[in-house]
Amino acid sequence: MTALRRNATIAWAIARKDAIAEVRGKQAAVSTLTFAAVVLLLFGFALGPDPRRLADAAPGLLWLGLVFAGLLGVGRFHELETEDGALEQLTLYPVDRRSIYAGKAAIGALAMLVLGALLVPLVAILFAVEIVRALPVLSLTVVLGAIGFAAVGTFYAGVTVRMRAREVMLPLLVLPIVAPLLLAAVKATSAALTGDPLGELPAWLELLAGFDVVMLIAGAGTYGFLLEE
Amino acid sequence: MPQTTIYASPRSVGAPQELPPAVATHELARLFGGNPALAGVTLSIPAGRCVQLVGPNGAGKTTLLRILATAIRPSFGSAAVDGLDVATHPELVRSRIAYLSHATGLYDDLTARENLAFAATMLGLDRSSSDQRIRNALDEIGLTEMATLRVRGFSAGMRRRLALGRVLLARPSLVLLDEPFAALDADGIQLMERLLDRWHRSGVTALVASHATEHIAARADATVELEGGVIARVSGEGVIARPPKREPTAGRVIEVAP
Amino acid sequence: MKTRILGVAALLAVIAAALFGLYGVPADLNQGDAQRIMYPHVASAWLAYLSFGVTALAGIGWLIRRDLRFDAVAVASAEIGVLFTALAIWGGMMWARPVWGVFWQWEDPRLTTTALLLALYVGYLLLRRLSDDPARRATRAAVVGLVAAVDIPIVHFSVIWWRGLHQPPTFLSPDKILHPSAPLPFVLALVGMLGAFTLAWTWLLIRRYQLARAELAREDAVRGGLVRRASAAAARPGVAARPAAAARPGLPASDDGGTPQPKAPAEATQ
Repeated sequence: MTALRRNATIAWAIARKDAIAEVRGKQAAVSTLTFAAVVLLLFGFALGPDPRRLADAAPGLLWLGLVFAGLLGVGRFHELETEDGALEQLTLYPVDRRSIYAGKAAIGALAMLVLGALLVPLVAILFAVEIVRALPVLSLTVVLGAIGFAAVGTFYAGVTVRMRAREVMLPLLVLPIVAPLLLAAVKATSAALTGDPLGELPAWLELLAGFDVVMLIAGAGTYGFLLEE
Repeated sequence: MPQTTIYASPRSVGAPQELPPAVATHELARLFGGNPALAGVTLSIPAGRCVQLVGPNGAGKTTLLRILATAIRPSFGSAAVDGLDVATHPELVRSRIAYLSHATGLYDDLTARENLAFAATMLGLDRSSSDQRIRNALDEIGLTEMATLRVRGFSAGMRRRLALGRVLLARPSLVLLDEPFAALDADGIQLMERLLDRWHRSGVTALVASHATEHIAARADATVELEGGVIARVSGEGVIARPPKREPTAGRVIEVAP
Repeated sequence: MKTRILGVAALLAVIAAALFGLYGVPADLNQGDAQRIMYPHVASAWLAYLSFGVTALAGIGWLIRRDLRFDAVAVASAEIGVLFTALAIWGGMMWARPVWGVFWQWEDPRLTTTALLLALYVGYLLLRRLSDDPARRATRAAVVGLVAAVDIPIVHFSVIWWRGLHQPPTFLSPDKILHPSAPLPFVLALVGMLGAFTLAWTWLLIRRYQLARAELAREDAVRGGLVRRASAAAARPGVAARPAAAARPGLPASDDGGTPQPKAPAEATQ
């Protein structure tokens, strides 16, 4: 019990510290959100003004926007640590490294949730999608998607944080891995928006949850190796 | 300080003791890419000593400290703190050391107090005692009045002091200091000297890489001189060093292909 | 020498399997000659999966034993795996064009999964390229290979579901190929090709492994020499040992964070 509790305390402290730093240094958060909004706008241009087509594509566009902006987010939380040797200091504390992963994944998931809370209404407005009825299921989908993406993104941010060309390598490594998440989240979102006529919603949510569990275990189990030099 | 022998054999001086040495390395080597930063260091420091580490730039001082701090793994050879191997038991070693590196490891967007509070949590101090200790540490490093300011605006010297404050939160048995006098003003230097004395009195082992001989020589029990990744000279008492073997340690990494 | 015998045997086996696939088996009733592409295609796909499984296991081996020979197996297997993955995709497209009328059939879960597989392992190889320190490269690669291997089954099932939850796989699932009622020459051609390709894979793996070991040995010759030189100079008290870096021949710059005396080691190059 005590070990688990201590790990939770550590994870909480890391997530809290990152949240404080992120809120105080507003530029990064604002630029990420702006980026996501611009991406959605450009998707609209790329697909043309046909409202029917835009509404059909909305779930996919929402998740692409979330994934692209999320990549900036998870990379950012590791970059915070590269100021003046903070990452090395972090690895020298006598703590279980899984708790460092947990803290970083938690703040990453929280950032994704904030992004989702802003992008879902934005998609609804831009692409004329009715979301109010679907909101509970939609929220669940966003929560599951945020956790899964943060689980993968945090792991790969740890892989690339001390690497050359990490700006390119992070998306390159993360995007193929999150393909199942993207697929399941888009399917679940469109099922939620259309009232789930085929009854496939539970299966997609299960797939999302399964992805989350597997990736959290894999990430927690291997992240510690990345901190050693 | 008496200039004693260059290399004593471990057997002649280090008679079997009940306590393991605070620092013990054997043929310790570390390569970066292709460069050997350390090339076979065999060294033993008894508990409670203050040891100065000198040598030109690139001699391997920082690398030695970082290996002992478990920041990097040895490429060959072994290193142990209080008898605990740094490669196999890093988490146990971490709870016994405090390391002040070149970098301060501070978060710019947190205040001085928040930085220390974060460190206290990571060190596992419980809430009741950590508040008191943070107050004491701030007082000691002279940053009480700046405690609620963000570190981003601090000068280099203030950052060094704050990093030192983090070292004070821990209860280490071995402190590893990398150029601790750098960037400090006269007050800061006095503070550092006071701390070195206190550690010495309370039996904490200190390994200090520093060129500031005027501040540390009087306090050091021994001096170890590194050059080109190996020990060139040892003077003073207690410390035992051996020259590296002529052949590099053939570790598992060195495998000749068919 | 044994490796050479294996290589010759693999070459002969592939030629024999190819000839049998081309002339020993009648053309498929529905698909005509295009169906013959399936023999190397299925064999390549199998080897792609085998390779990445081996890479993941070798990565675990490195993490446990810290022996760079495991890493040599991992890189050998991953590179060969990328080759066979690309072959499998190419074969799939060549077959899809005459049979389905398009190069890329999104409805086919196998093709899409394999494309993602290729992306995953090209990323793996790039990651290795960007890390110069052998131990750190091995660790990074091992964990990435492991997570990628864990992801592959999820990718596969998600794509199958995505295609339609209620639709059973229509085209060429393994149980259909090796259905008991399938004509014997057909089965023989497929199994023969699988065996021949696997033989070739084994030969490639051994050769690439030997190459990786030779690369390591070359790096070591440079490093070992330097360690020796520095040690020898220092063993004579009073004689200053020159910093070994100065004597270093023109090698590429050190790894990320790997300058000998970095100020802030982790960020030295960033």
